[in-house]
Amino acid sequence: MNEAFLLGNGAIALGLLEGGCQVLTSYPGTPSSEILPEAVRLIRSEKLNTYAEWSTNEKVAFDNAYAAAISGKRAACCMKQVGLNVAADSLMSAAYLGTTGALVVISCDDPGPHSSQTEQDTRLMARLAKVPVLDPSTPQEARKMAALALDLSEKFQIPVILRPAIRVCHARQNFRWDPLKDPGKRAAFKKDPTRWAATPRFRYLLHQRLNETLLKVSERFSQLEGVNAHTLAENKKYPLGIIAGGVPHAVIRDILDENHRTDIPVLKLGAPYPFPEKLAFRFVRACNNVLVLEETDTLIEYLLGDRKKVLGRLSGHVPMAGELTPRVIARTLQRVQTELGVEPIALSEDQDVHELVEGLHLPVRKPTLCPGCPHRAAFFAIRKVQPKALFTSDIGCYTLGLNLGGVDTCLDMGAGITLASGFFQAYLQDGVHQPVVATMGDSTFFHSGTAGLMNAVYNDARFILVLLDNQTTAMTGMQPTPALGVRADGRMGKSISLERIVAGCGVDFIEVVDPYDIQAMTALLKKAEAYVTSPKGGIAVVIARHACVIAYRETAIPEKKPVAVTDKCDACGFCHQRFECPALVEDPEGGTTAVNRSLCADCGVCIQVCPKGAIVAA
Amino acid sequence: METINFILSGLGGQGILFLSKVLARCALNKGFPVLGAETHGMAQRGGSVIAHLRLGNVKGSLVQEGTARFLLSLEENEAYRNLPFLAKEAFLYADASPEAFPKAGVKPYFKKRGITARALPVGRIALDLGAPLAANSGLLGFFAAFSDGPFLQAEIRETLESLSPDAFKALNLKVFDTCLEKGQKSG
Ligand code: SF4
Ligand code: SF4
Repeated sequence: MNEAFLLGNGAIALGLLEGGCQVLTSYPGTPSSEILPEAVRLIRSEKLNTYAEWSTNEKVAFDNAYAAAISGKRAACCMKQVGLNVAADSLMSAAYLGTTGALVVISCDDPGPHSSQTEQDTRLMARLAKVPVLDPSTPQEARKMAALALDLSEKFQIPVILRPAIRVCHARQNFRWDPLKDPGKRAAFKKDPTRWAATPRFRYLLHQRLNETLLKVSERFSQLEGVNAHTLAENKKYPLGIIAGGVPHAVIRDILDENHRTDIPVLKLGAPYPFPEKLAFRFVRACNNVLVLEETDTLIEYLLGDRKKVLGRLSGHVPMAGELTPRVIARTLQRVQTELGVEPIALSEDQDVHELVEGLHLPVRKPTLCPGCPHRAAFFAIRKVQPKALFTSDIGCYTLGLNLGGVDTCLDMGAGITLASGFFQAYLQDGVHQPVVATMGDSTFFHSGTAGLMNAVYNDARFILVLLDNQTTAMTGMQPTPALGVRADGRMGKSISLERIVAGCGVDFIEVVDPYDIQAMTALLKKAEAYVTSPKGGIAVVIARHACVIAYRETAIPEKKPVAVTDKCDACGFCHQRFECPALVEDPEGGTTAVNRSLCADCGVCIQVCPKGAIVAA
Repeated sequence: METINFILSGLGGQGILFLSKVLARCALNKGFPVLGAETHGMAQRGGSVIAHLRLGNVKGSLVQEGTARFLLSLEENEAYRNLPFLAKEAFLYADASPEAFPKAGVKPYFKKRGITARALPVGRIALDLGAPLAANSGLLGFFAAFSDGPFLQAEIRETLESLSPDAFKALNLKVFDTCLEKGQKSG
């Protein structure tokens, strides 16, 4: 028997392997990033033959896992919810074609949002694609559902989505498990072009078959013990019942238990789509009013056809945006009970404390680039050379270049480049040559940079693209990139050179610089600017290459340069506003700048930044 | 068992997750069911970081406001920010100077709710001992000093020792012991 205190994502990895998953692919993104590494740990310690890969993006991850799933194997791909947008094309089509083995798509939601562009609800993607979805409330349940999803997928020959929310992914619980075994199924793809390469005429038939499958799954979901279950007593009528799924179910269960409220029945929907009609309607019949608690959108609420009894987002009882925290749920329940004349629960929170805390005017802690981060140096140089440019950027640690005024846009993965060409063309149409500087990280470039870059070159857009190459996927927890060539399981693959990809996209100006050398970087950016604006020029790509100081703690700063602030510092604040290294703080005694020694990384870059020359090598 | 809720707060990079792991392991060693919630991703880059730890048979990983028995904060302002979590008669341990903590404006609230607030500049102590990254071990030692919680001092110390990476073991324990001793003297 093994035992470990696992992250929810580790529990999912465990459940997948217990369910006989043979192929696992992923592109990292909070809150999903730890599933694959946790699986790799288990694969190693249990000596399994499971194949695990970091794919270059979510669509690539989906397709690679899907190939295994139509070869009779059990496979899974993991991503964050906005990653599923990237894989949506594949998902929609795969729903029609189905599987012969199993495909579980794990798409992790981020109500809040804490680390995402949107709060989108993966369950609605499942509804759109017409595939079943499971919604765990706890890590323990996520483990069981991962294995169940593989079973369901294989039984009904359809991709199944597992949708854990961030509070499941990043919760921790203790787990025990028996030794894991290899399922040992061999790849056996059976050629059948009418199915696997179906033309539109056959697609219609496949769609009909998909609808039939969904009806069967809905039947099954009405009897899915433990997953979809109610606490109604026989022949009893209730003034108020609650339907909840996912994390809100865990929260409301705790609240009702703590308040000893056995008078309120709960219908738990851990498998909300295809909708378990029979079960849901039986529950609604027994209650005069039903409060629906679900994250983050309104799937259950929409699917409950007759909404006269239903209280939720559409009736204004549940907030339309944001996470359903215990506080929000407790207050919602109390309000609904009061409205309905049901005895309300007592709130544990103190009524005055929020006012008290607000009155303290605590500093807002916005995230910042780490002390010593090479991106900070790069953004500083960019701002210096091109103060008037439009700054299109992208998803990663470097989005925090916001704080240095070096990021004007952040739309989605890849848009650093596509918005740059778009802006350029929109201005050029009016005869204006608008300077644009795009920034993008190495991993994001591999994920979705090339199509946009080729498009920009082909259509003769002009801008500077700074590729911030820190040799890792930093924000999501330091996963390797194709440039390193290290694979998910630690084996070496083939490393791919950024320079060669950029050249292959048709770019003629490609130069590499270490951003720590601000002078060299500004000189290079000036050269790039001249190239971009000359009639014979084109897109200039500057690769700012310096390792992330967190991923490469020992080696990223080979030559430590401790700094000191001399009395030349006149407290002008330039280094705080324009450079914002968290290790440069206001001296509590004098109002001048001081170095916080426990934060400082000794990168020495700030020596080149202070206009008064007050920061010197110590 | 009755649920015991902890809130651990501070800034990204201070080692809140490690602190949470040590306490969770202490609880698991005693046979308590444990559920924790962690912060990953964007917020870890220097923003406010908070970890929830719940001992007991619970399903949700988040502590509800007004129900935390213990708040350990590696930063003074983050301690204030998380006051709404504190239950009546709760205990608060902050990396702050005992002379200046808590602010005058907060004292009546602590009195009203029967909250015990304790402060020690654990970060500065860790820095003086040459271990700026071991403030979390210091706060753990300070927490252990009063035995307010469900763990014995020795249990916390042993768990810290077993979970610290070899390279930091000695320093972590040194900071832990120093802060434990200072806590005992102050109490
Ligand atoms: S993790 Fe690395 S890339 Fe991200 S902010 Fe810190 S130093 Fe920069
Ligand atoms: S040397 Fe300067 S820029 Fe580098 S981390 Fe220290 S204070 Fe920040």
